[in-house]
Amino acid sequence: MPKSGTLIRSTAVAGLAAVVAAVAVSAAGAAPAKRSATVLQGAGSSLIAPALAIWQPLYSQARGVVVNYSAVGSGAGIAAISARTVDFGASDAPMTPDQATGCKGCVQIPWALTATVPVYNIPGVPDTRLHLDGPTLANIFLGNIKTWDDPAIKKLNPGANLPSTKIVVVHRSDGSGDTYVFTDYLSKVSPTWKSKVGSATSVSWPTGVGGAKNAGVAAIVAQTPGSIGYISDAYVIQNHIAKAQMKNAAGHYTLPSVTSIEAAAQLVKSVPADNAISITNPPASPKYKYAWPLSTFTYVIVPQQTAKAKDLKNFITWALTHGQAPIRKFVFAPMPLVVIKAANKSLKQVHS
Amino acid sequence: MSTLDATTESTRRLSGRRVHLGDLILQLVAGAATLAALVLVFLIVWKVIDGARPAIEQFGVGFVTHVGWDPVKQVFGAGSFLFGTAVTSLVALLLAAPLSLGIALFLTELAPGAIRGPVTALVETLAAIPSVVIGLWGILVLGPVLSDHVEPFLHDTLGFIPLFGTPGSGSSMFTAIIVLTIMILPIVSSISRELFLGVPSELKEAALGLGTTRWEMVRGVMFPYARGGIAAALILGLGRALGEAIAVTQVIGAFVGIQWNLFSPGDTLASRIAAEYQGATSNLEVASLIYLGLILLVFSLLVNLLAQWIVRTVARRQGLAS
Amino acid sequence: MSAPEATAGGRRNDRLRRRKIVNRLMEGLAWLAAAIAVAILGIVVFSVARKGASELNLNLLTKPPVPFAPPDVAQGLGNAFIGTLIIVGIATVIALPVGILIAIYVSEFAGPWVKNAVTLTLDVLNGIPAIVIGIFVFGLIVVGRGQSGFAGGFALSILMLPLVARSTMEVLALVPNSLREASLGLGVPRWRTTLSIVLPQTIGGVVTGATLAVARVAGETAPLLFTSSIVGNQINWNPHHALQTVPVAIFELSESPSPDDHARAWAAAFVLMMFILFASLGARWLATRSRRKLMAR
Repeated sequence: MPKSGTLIRSTAVAGLAAVVAAVAVSAAGAAPAKRSATVLQGAGSSLIAPALAIWQPLYSQARGVVVNYSAVGSGAGIAAISARTVDFGASDAPMTPDQATGCKGCVQIPWALTATVPVYNIPGVPDTRLHLDGPTLANIFLGNIKTWDDPAIKKLNPGANLPSTKIVVVHRSDGSGDTYVFTDYLSKVSPTWKSKVGSATSVSWPTGVGGAKNAGVAAIVAQTPGSIGYISDAYVIQNHIAKAQMKNAAGHYTLPSVTSIEAAAQLVKSVPADNAISITNPPASPKYKYAWPLSTFTYVIVPQQTAKAKDLKNFITWALTHGQAPIRKFVFAPMPLVVIKAANKSLKQVHS
Repeated sequence: MSTLDATTESTRRLSGRRVHLGDLILQLVAGAATLAALVLVFLIVWKVIDGARPAIEQFGVGFVTHVGWDPVKQVFGAGSFLFGTAVTSLVALLLAAPLSLGIALFLTELAPGAIRGPVTALVETLAAIPSVVIGLWGILVLGPVLSDHVEPFLHDTLGFIPLFGTPGSGSSMFTAIIVLTIMILPIVSSISRELFLGVPSELKEAALGLGTTRWEMVRGVMFPYARGGIAAALILGLGRALGEAIAVTQVIGAFVGIQWNLFSPGDTLASRIAAEYQGATSNLEVASLIYLGLILLVFSLLVNLLAQWIVRTVARRQGLAS
Repeated sequence: MSAPEATAGGRRNDRLRRRKIVNRLMEGLAWLAAAIAVAILGIVVFSVARKGASELNLNLLTKPPVPFAPPDVAQGLGNAFIGTLIIVGIATVIALPVGILIAIYVSEFAGPWVKNAVTLTLDVLNGIPAIVIGIFVFGLIVVGRGQSGFAGGFALSILMLPLVARSTMEVLALVPNSLREASLGLGVPRWRTTLSIVLPQTIGGVVTGATLAVARVAGETAPLLFTSSIVGNQINWNPHHALQTVPVAIFELSESPSPDDHARAWAAAFVLMMFILFASLGARWLATRSRRKLMAR
């Protein structure tokens, strides 16, 4: 028998055997697995993913518990925790009544405060040069404004070098908390948007291209001249994408920052029982002069009754206290006291 | 296959009267495995129908034509994705067919012996590239090239045709079409190559002997002879394009609606399922996505069975052993 | 005055020239088609190799990913490579025995009707889109129980089954009848004949089929999205959990805006492609040799 044939055949058999052996070893070692460290598995919002990336090593060092997180989008996070395939879910959008029922006794707890930002890629228009207001933004995303040199945009941007490039609208294709915040804002500033499209983690977009998660939208905007999209602020910082200044209800143009987001959060006077808070488009009062109109809380969703109650409570408490300062650099603002109190109160509902 | 029949027959006759326990056990276990495979197909179809049931009850058959996917109003329909699937798959097939046949002809009639082997291997290699890698290449390399150079050129020269409207981003139906063409190419060309190799050389030589040019021989002898097989190959290529979810969803841009401009984004049945399934907002949306899967399954089965039927009928008619 | 023959001859020459031009044109197009195919392949492979080169190091295979980290932090896709190894291993452990058993039943026990039904079934199974298989396994196993490496392995095994079964059937058919008849004639029971005499002849073909099937599913993404995609970043060997896999990792990284993520995706794609290419080409070469050997008997 020719040697090379045997050699190759033996290699192939050996390869397959190695694969099978790996399986056997892992299955054997895994079966009555005695865990050396507790693992908390979470899934959901890509907006909170940068914060969790900072929290994971810090918490593992502080308490020895490993937190795993999969940024699959707020919608998928709600679905995952409802099906109990993960230990906690994360969503920027509060659960709808149907989703709350479907989750069978879950509690949503606000654990961070940040913002969504309109971002753009217009040749000749540098970062933060573009000024927009709510109705114009809505018209762009409705498809009514089609080119960058449209009079409505020119009016808000006197002296800017706006080309006649076609506007490419970019939105999220997956179930997204950022979509919820963005459409929540648009519904408040545009009655046409509210009746035609509405607000949710996933909507029927009148126009535009879809990208998957914050990363996908950021990638498409970065690669497409003439595009406009919306992503969470942490991704803007990570990827150096041009962001637009928004005119808030008080008439001022603002950019998202810890200060402007905190100002918007002043809107919260009391927190409802289900912790569903909306702080988009704060009203035209002097208190909100510098508020960023697309700010949002983001939630961790846990079952009221779970075997991992103690570990989850420890982790969330840590995040609400020690976790807030390290994530400041990704423009997560400090939460108002009334919200922290509500969060702690809701956390007490979690038991094993 | 006739060898196989002869095997079973003669060995049955020779196995004698004594039935060993071992024989029974082997037959039972092997038979169970076979039964499991048969049951599996029906189980898959049943599970998909079962999962789609809430959407079928809610929307009925109108779902198939309704254009729109509205999670806020909770009204869903497959119309937009049927359009996208049809346009992308059919145009990709249109592009891939002449290319594949050209490659197959090259490999059987024209290629000098030295490069025949390597080029054949190269084309087969194209089939082995995973779709996610082609999608990666599509997003990062192909998409920008198409939207920066090819699409403006086509729009400037052929812009009077609605298909070549204003270029947009790299995420478009056009990018998806090119990606699908690349995926269909190896399948159709390798099947066509084997078909062309199977054309009896007497027929070819007879034609050439009569003074036809090579092309005339191909057109007059090889194509008619391999006609059925080529049809089956094209249909199998179409099936591949219909079912491709990953590479398409990476490059197509997730747009709901009917737009004839190939440079605009779109979406297909498989691609929408891949993008939306995990983040569906309600049970009705999940069921609607499975309904999309059901439509996709029906089309794939029809396409597959059609190709199988052609192969079996034509092969039988031409007296080839399958 | 031109003679009729001369004109007719002239027309014939014209026609011949035209036919020759058309022939040349068609030959040129065929060459062009082949050149395009080779060019596409070259471009894709070259892109993957060049862009992945910067991240192609041992870290890729051994270190876990660290999202949102600065570029100097050493990271890789170790969890994905381990996960692929385990999930594809599970798929092989399921598909290989079942596929061989089906081939044995069809070749040694079944009548022509069952043979046709099984062949048709396997072809149909092969044509079901991978994403529909993903939906199926999700509904069957994942709902209520959660994602796991086992669910992913089961989904991939369904994709492998037709390939393993068909190739084993083909190789079993090549084993000469005389061998079976001789064995049975000596009084060896059917089951012994099949397992100890016939099957060993086909090992080459079975390994080939299994290798091709592994090459096919190593790059499959769609079914894994439904069964093993909610994963952590640590390197995990436990198939009771959802495990990260190379195709899913490439899929997620491909949609990121970060050039470092892209480089890692290209590098992983390169490793994956090289594995699949060597496995496919090696298996095919092995198959040709094994077939030639069996036919020469």
